[in-house]
Amino acid sequence: MMFFVIGYYVFLLLASVVLSLFNQTKWFRMVFALFLVSIIVGIVGGAPALRAIAIFAALLATAAALSFAFKEFLILIVRPNLAKELRTAPLTASFGIFIIFTYAIAGTFAPWIAPYGQAEVIAGAFAPADANMLLGADQLGRDVFSRIIYGARNSVGLALISTLGAFILGALAGLLAAVKGGWFDQFMGRVADIIMSVPSLIFALLMLSIFGTKSWVIVLVVAIIYSPRVFRLTRAVAGNIVVMDYIEAAKLRGEGDWYLIRREILPNSTAPLIAEFGLEFVFVFLLIAGLSFLGLGIQPPTADWGSMVRENATLISFGDITPLIPAAAIALLTVSVNFVVDWMLWRSSGLKEK
Amino acid sequence: MGGLLNLVLKRLGLGLITLLVVSILIFFAVELLPGDTAEQILGQGATEETVAALREQLGLNRPWYVRYLDWLSGAVVGDFGVSALSGEPVMDVIGGRFVNTLFLAAYAAVLAVPLAITLGVIVALLRNTVFDRVANVLTLTSISSPEFFLGYILILFLAVKNPFFPAIASLSDGMSLGELLNRTFLPALTLVLVVTAHMMRMTRAAIINLLASPYIEMARLKGVSPWRVIVRHALPNAWAPIINVVALNLAYLITGVVLVEVVFVYPGIGQALVDAVAKRNFPVVQAASLIFAATFILLNLAADVGAILTNPRLRHPK
Repeated sequence: MMFFVIGYYVFLLLASVVLSLFNQTKWFRMVFALFLVSIIVGIVGGAPALRAIAIFAALLATAAALSFAFKEFLILIVRPNLAKELRTAPLTASFGIFIIFTYAIAGTFAPWIAPYGQAEVIAGAFAPADANMLLGADQLGRDVFSRIIYGARNSVGLALISTLGAFILGALAGLLAAVKGGWFDQFMGRVADIIMSVPSLIFALLMLSIFGTKSWVIVLVVAIIYSPRVFRLTRAVAGNIVVMDYIEAAKLRGEGDWYLIRREILPNSTAPLIAEFGLEFVFVFLLIAGLSFLGLGIQPPTADWGSMVRENATLISFGDITPLIPAAAIALLTVSVNFVVDWMLWRSSGLKEK
Repeated sequence: MGGLLNLVLKRLGLGLITLLVVSILIFFAVELLPGDTAEQILGQGATEETVAALREQLGLNRPWYVRYLDWLSGAVVGDFGVSALSGEPVMDVIGGRFVNTLFLAAYAAVLAVPLAITLGVIVALLRNTVFDRVANVLTLTSISSPEFFLGYILILFLAVKNPFFPAIASLSDGMSLGELLNRTFLPALTLVLVVTAHMMRMTRAAIINLLASPYIEMARLKGVSPWRVIVRHALPNAWAPIINVVALNLAYLITGVVLVEVVFVYPGIGQALVDAVAKRNFPVVQAASLIFAATFILLNLAADVGAILTNPRLRHPK
């Protein structure tokens, strides 16, 4: 233990000296501040607290290294103009892209990656982790690791379909409202106002308690709840485009509404819509996770992260982190999507003020 | 000033109409179901006659519009009919719980609002530094995490591993305020984490948006210090968006509270709603939904009215 403490301080001190020698002022300041803070933390919390800091810093450094390597890899394989954009991306963004890729692979190839089936009982209830079960067993003796992998397919899949639904519904209504204008525009605006004025979770609880928790009901209810956000954005973006001269020209050529939407407006409004898709996905995913945490999402025995948290929640009072793993899986994905969206918004917005 | 009053009244009227439409939605969604409250109270074994008698007694055999108006006029004075499970008045089931929920939300708000605005101003001042980047990552993480994730992490570290606070927020009558605050600290802290992150980001964005204005440029050219530019020049004009943000986040607290109440087994209205949904106790579901929706609409209304009052440009629309 003593070696660890001495090594810890010596490492930080040496690192700050090296950084200051190479004139890396920003990093020197950070490392040296960490050194000073560690002295206080070390006196108050002792070696375990220092160990916690070291583990946290190591995790952070690993994540940063991973993101950096992945970014370089991406720059190598994508087209040159995209690579130029990527070069300026912050590490958080490439970390987000990496995590999204990982989840996509886990979800697509779940049956081949997961060692056991999602409903397969293989051990006693709450069996601890061993070489066979990386994360132990749940309340019925099913492998938690396999269920997490399957959850990437079920939970994320459902959220993705719901988001797509919300998007198609909202974007179509928004584009039509912008092109048609008049009473249709007014009417859709009021409908969107009313849907948005009911808290989403309450609306979903009410609807699901009435219509049951079949998957298509969840998709439909969630799509309706979140379509007004897309509607408003599309309406605003398309509203700016509709007044352009080339739209006027197309109208004079005698093109129909559908042609205007498909060939003139949509290609010019994809950038904000893609960023909105990411944000929308996060909201939808959190809502669905919340619903399944409350027992109104995907029904058992299908593996789903929200309900996995609820099923194993009692373990938390024994200091076991099993219920936190699916919750962390949710948080990691939503954070990653947010990191990527944040970068995209930052690129296109005026928030670059120096 | 007449125009201002007009504008506020118009907004209030719009809010009232929205609430009315929402109440219709809540009432008729339940109407779509097969069966009614009388059948539900009496269960499967009831005879036709007893169901008819109870229907008569509860007034369920009247046409829908009479029942809707009856329900609505009852709701205005806090009478939501009887619970489909126990037969006791719905208000007895959820009245006290609503007060508890308001207490929790207020507790979280009192902690979160000053914290968020102070931190928001600080990160706006330190924008594009390492500190700002770290704050950005932390707030994004906090916003993107499900409430139950934050709640269970807090339980694990502050209640189980280091028993500072109780993990379950059980309340009883005659508790002292200090005890009450201690018992409800973890649920309040969970809400604070989510809401503070939101408000902080929005405060930062509101201030930074203003920093691009010419008068700020002028102040800088005069040689005013960066801190003074923000506090004396930018902040007064940022109040309108910030007030808006605070009201919107209080509205968000009302829904976020449902999940947090379930995690901490807090005796609030959100928990009652979830229980009622699971047991298909529709009079309680309707009442709780309407209360939540009304609070939500009210706070959104407050946000709009606040924006109108603090922004002269909105007061004189072209």
